Amino acid sequence: MGSLVVSNSRTCMKHLCTWVVNPLYFRPGLPQYNIMLAVRFIINPHTQFYSTKGGKQAELHSRVTKEKGFTSRTRPAFPNSVFTAGTAKKTAEFMKKQAGMDTEEPSNNTPARSRGSLKVALPDHPLTTSEWTKFKEESSKPERFEVQMMERLLAANADVNIAKSLLAYVVQDKGTLSYELLLRYLTLCVTAGHHSEVFDTYDIVRTCFKTLDTGASSLFIKGFSQTERWREALAVLEGMKKGLLPSPRNYGDAIAGAVLHGDTETSWKLYDELLEQGLVPNQDTWQCLFQSGITQRGQEDKLFSVLSYMRDNQIYPEEPLIKTIKAWFESLPDQKWSGKFSFVALSGECKNCKASLESIQLTEEEYAQLKDEVMKKVIEGSDIFNKTTPEELKSFKSFVKQRPPFDIVIDGLNVANTTPKATHSETLLAVVSELEQQGLNILVLGRKHMLQPTRNWDRQNMDKIKQKAHCFFTENISEDDPFLLYAALHSGVHCNFLSRDLMRDHKACLPDSAIRRLFFKWQRGHQLVISHYVPGKRVRFQRISAYDTIVQTSGSSWHIPYDDNRRERATYEVPQKWLCLTQEQ
Amino acid sequence: MVIQACSCVMFLRSCSLAVRRSCTSAPLQTLLTIRPISTTWTARKDAAEKLDLDIWKSVMKSQPLHDEDPSPSPSALDVNRELVEMWHQAGKFVPKNITDEQLEDLAALTTKSAKRKYLKFLAIKEAHKISKKEKRDKKKSERDTDAETEEREKLKNTFLMKFWNSSMDRLQNWRAAQAMRFGQPLVYDMSYEQHMTQREMENTVSQLLETEGWNRRAADPFHLHFCSLQPGGAYHRKLLKRYGTETWERLLITATARRPIDVFPPEDLVYLTADSRNVLRTFDHRKVYVVGAMVDRSIHSGVSLANAKRLKLATARLPLDEYLDWDSGAKNLTLDQMIRILATVKDTGSWKEALEFVPKRKHCGFHQRQKTGAFVRTVKTQSVRDEPAARGQKNKTDGHKRKER
Repeated sequence: MGSLVVSNSRTCMKHLCTWVVNPLYFRPGLPQYNIMLAVRFIINPHTQFYSTKGGKQAELHSRVTKEKGFTSRTRPAFPNSVFTAGTAKKTAEFMKKQAGMDTEEPSNNTPARSRGSLKVALPDHPLTTSEWTKFKEESSKPERFEVQMMERLLAANADVNIAKSLLAYVVQDKGTLSYELLLRYLTLCVTAGHHSEVFDTYDIVRTCFKTLDTGASSLFIKGFSQTERWREALAVLEGMKKGLLPSPRNYGDAIAGAVLHGDTETSWKLYDELLEQGLVPNQDTWQCLFQSGITQRGQEDKLFSVLSYMRDNQIYPEEPLIKTIKAWFESLPDQKWSGKFSFVALSGECKNCKASLESIQLTEEEYAQLKDEVMKKVIEGSDIFNKTTPEELKSFKSFVKQRPPFDIVIDGLNVANTTPKATHSETLLAVVSELEQQGLNILVLGRKHMLQPTRNWDRQNMDKIKQKAHCFFTENISEDDPFLLYAALHSGVHCNFLSRDLMRDHKACLPDSAIRRLFFKWQRGHQLVISHYVPGKRVRFQRISAYDTIVQTSGSSWHIPYDDNRRERATYEVPQKWLCLTQEQ
Repeated sequence: MVIQACSCVMFLRSCSLAVRRSCTSAPLQTLLTIRPISTTWTARKDAAEKLDLDIWKSVMKSQPLHDEDPSPSPSALDVNRELVEMWHQAGKFVPKNITDEQLEDLAALTTKSAKRKYLKFLAIKEAHKISKKEKRDKKKSERDTDAETEEREKLKNTFLMKFWNSSMDRLQNWRAAQAMRFGQPLVYDMSYEQHMTQREMENTVSQLLETEGWNRRAADPFHLHFCSLQPGGAYHRKLLKRYGTETWERLLITATARRPIDVFPPEDLVYLTADSRNVLRTFDHRKVYVVGAMVDRSIHSGVSLANAKRLKLATARLPLDEYLDWDSGAKNLTLDQMIRILATVKDTGSWKEALEFVPKRKHCGFHQRQKTGAFVRTVKTQSVRDEPAARGQKNKTDGHKRKER
């Protein structure tokens, strides 16, 4: 150990600080004097690459790491679990930097729109017809001059009068305006908030063209909803429905219009319609509904139903919304809510109010449903031959039935690939031995090729593994993960599984999002991941979260997880920040 | 200057006409924004040069497009047609003209993205059609002028009659007939109907047509079998439509509703699928190779492998990784590429020659065997593609770098 610390001393000392200040790295059972051990596992880069198909990639990157060495500046402080928000991004950045790909960062100053054709500067004041004519002659692409010019004006956020003078020039040049050009002009007016221009353009478009396309409709809804003619936005929305389903954004704009003018009834009617269409509302739609709840009473039931919608669909508010929610709670009269932004301890206790959060364990019905769906959709699917064969499945089922329920199911090939420093069978044996010492009933899943003695798969090691654990080897062309899921689910709620695989492809096999959320919850509560492994040392696992990250209430308190502004959360991660709302008695 | 003034006059003439019309129909408010237009030349020039920012409004308002009242409740088809038309006007990538049939197809699509993709597809098709027509017209006009200037070609003294296409057809049909009797069978398994969308099915049928064409032109054709082809099924109908009933009947292939294992002894069959673990190292002239007739745009991996597993057949994949430095793209190839590869390897026994038919964009060239026996990969450069001689230049370090990236 000493030599390791010396060899990486530069890194270690720098990151001792991170470790000390970050409470996430404190683990019970880790003696304080053993700080060097802790430092080593934080900095060990090999254990932190998570991918659905582990081995090759991790190996590649570890090689790169070895070659380049790692500089202290680039090393991120790895959080506790694969499911922690930000882990994926940090890992990706870390790997990118390790690979030395960060040298060529594109400068953000160059605008994306600058194409070779239009290098001419934009006019800074309205031009006359002749000036525009001259301008057009200078441009290299005269046939699309007007539209491109309008787009550039829009991109540069130019004065509306310049755009108008352009329109005046075009109408004098050609006698009419194209729909495309008017649409660009409309975009400019809506973004800059020139309401009267929006009205005029609306009247013109209505008289000159048969109907509106979706782009124009969206713009008019957005433009109108901010003005006293906001009810016309509803008419436009109505018109849109004839052709296509309006987007959540369209509904959001219309709702914002209704809220702005104090018509809560209409806004909730639109909101209900939006949900009925199966659309997912935008965060700012919710924000403006909560905002209106602050000023106008009597919407409490509706707003609580929004919170339960978030709970049901496992949606997490973003920072602006969570602030509005907090303000709304605190504005409720006679209820004396007080909100605090808080963290939750590993044990599932809110740091602010000390209340325990909901457990991550599934209910019995949920568990049974999940088990059933995993069997039907993930393993059998539309064609059982895709992942296995009927004979194999049958033999596996009887294998599982004949044995007592397992405590842990190990994805043998995934675990064996944890580190490139030891042969596969050694790694697997070390992990199995560690778990066996804890007195667990283990199942190791693998493929038949593991039984053929090679350099990586030593026969003696495999024999030892077979003594310590139950083993099942599938055909080489079968998938082993579905068997892993089935065995773990079949053994009961106490059974965990060990794999670095995030199981995203199996999650995708499930039929609907409700089941997928159930699967994800179960996965968070039952997936063990090796947090670091150095051959010859003890194997350590990442902590399984004890609480569920979901909007929840106990009547007198609310706990709402939220995404902070940086938004570095991957789809398989959950936020770590919470809003804790408590009621003073 | 003269030109400019001229156009100015032209414009004002049309404008004043419009204004005159608007006097009768447009509301008073519109009139207020219009500057008085005098008839003298200087005043006109002034009006043009003065900055009137709102003139476009009055002009546009004066030219309403639809005078007649639209029907009170337009049908869904009309709504969609108008929507597509407006999208076209808005500069979106949609077709200019759309038929009722296509509109019905459009309405049948459930999601927005599906509709957008379908419209894009139609727009591309339309653009191709237009450019083709333009080219044809251009050629025709060129031909016409040529015909006028040039005299008719003189008859030459030759010992051969003109070699007509039909003579070639006869030769190829003779060979195909030989193949039907003595040729090695090659099976196309048509049991993937339910795995494909309409578009994929059309692509598959096109590829099958190409397949048959390449096979007919081969020096030693395969005896093609279209197995599991359900009469009256989507495949059968599409093939009949593309070939025409008469040609289909005269085609020198075997089409059957029976499965490959019913036609051939199962131990002779080798199912070719990119998902297989076994590599087809040598082409066996006694085996019957089976190719799944399926285009898989959405990713259903392992469908044909599952099929082979169900039938308990041997499987194999082409030795792509063994010979090519794969770059990007899926390892599954189109059906016509498959037959060209198989026909070549059958004739020559050389995978290197056969794998020339793998699309060049998917790989960076062939592995090179050095004198020492080690494999070195070539770098993807234009010269390597174009001149076979340049393949001799090996660059070990570069190849190594590529691998790392």
